[in-house]
Amino acid sequence: MATATATKNMGQVTQVIGSTFDAEFPEDALPAIYNAVKIVSDHKGVKLNLTGEVQQHLGGGRVRCVALGSTDGMMRGQDVIDTGKPVTVPVGKATLGRVFNLLGDPVDGRGPVVADDYWPIHRQSPPVTELSTSTELFETGIKVIDLLTPFVRGGKAGLFGGAGLGKTVILTELIARIASAHGGYSVFAGVGERTREGTDLWLEMQEAKIGDTGRSVIEQTCMVFGQMNEPPGSRLRVALSALTMAEYFRDTTGADTLLFVDNIFRFSQAGSEVSALLGRMPSAVGYQPTLATEMGALQERICSTNRGAITSVQAVYVPADDPTDPAPATAFGQLDAFIYLERAISEKGIYPAVDPLASSSRVLDPQYVGERHYNVARRVQRTLQRYRELQDIIAILGVEELSEEDKLVVHRARRIERFLSQPFLVAEVFTGKPGEITKLSDTIRSFEEICDGKWDHLSEQAFMYVGPIEQAEEQQKKLAARG
Amino acid sequence: MANPRALDKRRRSVRNIRKITRTMELIATARFKKAMDRAHAATAYTERMTQLVRDLAQSGAEVKHPLLAGRTETKNATLLVLTANRGLCGGYNGNVIRAAYERWTQLKAEVPKTTLEVSGKRGITGFSYRGQKPDERFTHFDDKPSFEEVEVIAARYLDAYAAGTLDRLDVAYMKFINVARQTPVVETLLPLGSLSVEAGPAKKGQAAEAQGQQTGKKGEVQYEFLPSAESILQEVVPASFKVKLFKCFLDAAVSEQVARMVAMKGATENAGELIKQLSMTYNRARQGRITGELLEVMGGVEALNK
Repeated sequence: MATATATKNMGQVTQVIGSTFDAEFPEDALPAIYNAVKIVSDHKGVKLNLTGEVQQHLGGGRVRCVALGSTDGMMRGQDVIDTGKPVTVPVGKATLGRVFNLLGDPVDGRGPVVADDYWPIHRQSPPVTELSTSTELFETGIKVIDLLTPFVRGGKAGLFGGAGLGKTVILTELIARIASAHGGYSVFAGVGERTREGTDLWLEMQEAKIGDTGRSVIEQTCMVFGQMNEPPGSRLRVALSALTMAEYFRDTTGADTLLFVDNIFRFSQAGSEVSALLGRMPSAVGYQPTLATEMGALQERICSTNRGAITSVQAVYVPADDPTDPAPATAFGQLDAFIYLERAISEKGIYPAVDPLASSSRVLDPQYVGERHYNVARRVQRTLQRYRELQDIIAILGVEELSEEDKLVVHRARRIERFLSQPFLVAEVFTGKPGEITKLSDTIRSFEEICDGKWDHLSEQAFMYVGPIEQAEEQQKKLAARG
Repeated sequence: MANPRALDKRRRSVRNIRKITRTMELIATARFKKAMDRAHAATAYTERMTQLVRDLAQSGAEVKHPLLAGRTETKNATLLVLTANRGLCGGYNGNVIRAAYERWTQLKAEVPKTTLEVSGKRGITGFSYRGQKPDERFTHFDDKPSFEEVEVIAARYLDAYAAGTLDRLDVAYMKFINVARQTPVVETLLPLGSLSVEAGPAKKGQAAEAQGQQTGKKGEVQYEFLPSAESILQEVVPASFKVKLFKCFLDAAVSEQVARMVAMKGATENAGELIKQLSMTYNRARQGRITGELLEVMGGVEALNK
């Protein structure tokens, strides 16, 4: 087949199956697995510029590839060029303030990016000897998170939740809170979510300022998008592209880097979409058999080393509100802080709808957060746990049948439940309430006092959407004044 | 989606609860009827008795009885609280305790020496929880308080009153108005006069009309005392007090049964709702699992066939 002009690393398309395709190469010049291959053609006015990634060697010189773009217009016999290396993305300062797709091409219409360095998106995770072991708290100013699921500097936090519970809102809120108070670099990966949200975020980052420096957040941030409209191959690799950029900042500048991913579930979903096309047998609930491997390869790279730290916050969609679904379940094991959003709580109108009992954090341990914080958090959880246990009795017999002690527990639990809500900076336009950044010490004190019964006299309504407990008192006065 | 087995287990336990509440509802209904009859029978007697005492007191200036005369200074007060021995009757106990507790704190502030007497286990624990240990407790009154039992207590109060160790007696209980309404009240039974004045002339007029006694001026009844007014009052006044106290116990018993009946009816309905909800979640979870498993089997077969 090879013509005179053909170089050794050229092959032909033999089969197109959805978003995967097969190509035939000379036996002695097979592209390595994960190598990027390019198809550039202009046939009868149909322009095609497609990058694929080699996934399997099928034998007989044939390789199976995942298309990282649309396969529309592909034909058998088209020339496939082996680039000889995996997909590479620009890294370094040149990427700051820009928006990319997974191939590292800018999509914000601000001209080409000239970077000093280009890194392949497939890399090894750092060796164990280089991993950093320090454990430092990361204050977010969100009461429920700081108290019950404290973040770790250089750790990973996951926001789990079903459709429409506010994962993206919390993630955006965290960007607004952390990135604006943070000196280092931020990388945002938009994986398979709405394009509109990406645009919103981009605009918002341009407006948000870092501290008092007058510079906007976007100047310290780079964004990589492979949203819903992209084919599965793109959604499968976009997280890696973003991660590679974050890794560069960590390894070369040593700065604290933030990595936000919305939504890691789409990564698994895209993997499952191409898995069957690649000829793998579906495993539990139809997911790819390599689900855990893929997730592990990605998550293990998001870590802090001696040279620098990556603090990562990831949104994880929970299909059908079922946290035992394999995709969220595999993500769960990788995280330091686990925030579970519960529909029943959002139905009560309490946002953020964090389930205080299902959520947890590795560092909620007296060793890291201190005796007092730990005890208060546990008391809050105990109270809410008891309330949940009593829920059936209350539903059937009513509150009056409870013993005096239990009545008190219910009384406080209902107040704690409401006090866990908080006005958000990014939701200011919707709620009309300015966002509230509550200091950790205030949070601990407030909850301690509620548990001690100091604020039993306030009405439940007073606890909704306030910062520290003093604001609840003020709100009570306002409510009383209104009658 | 939750584990179907856990859901089913929960549903079964709710079913059991519903069985219990339904049975309790039926029992309460039966007991309520009986208690109601007893209370009804006593009502007419008590009213007549009260009226008699009132009429006697008003008929002549020469009538004097220590129980009718108020004390100029209240040194010793007793609060008797009537609650149920058992729970599962909605807000019955809670409401009585709340009303009683209010009066108790008030009494404590006004009167130098106060005694707290509580009938019913719920009231005893309720007051103990609030840090007030009852000085006297009764747990032997059930849904059928007998006159003999009440009389013992009543006699003790009368003796204490006569001896001057008791100046005021308040009783907190759930007053039975009708099946749909019971209100927690705190009534002052001793001195006896305080109540008869409160009862007001309207009721007296009604009662008098009903009896068809319209001779002479309205509400003025002519009595002839034989052998003497004192000896009759000596009998009638203490009896009136006893009957009144007994009426309180009867009212409390009826109210308790009504409260239980209503509470259990509500509970049974709520349990039904909960079962319905749980069944729906359970079925959905079960079907979800089946669908998932089917898909997996079919997917596997498809993949193998390739």
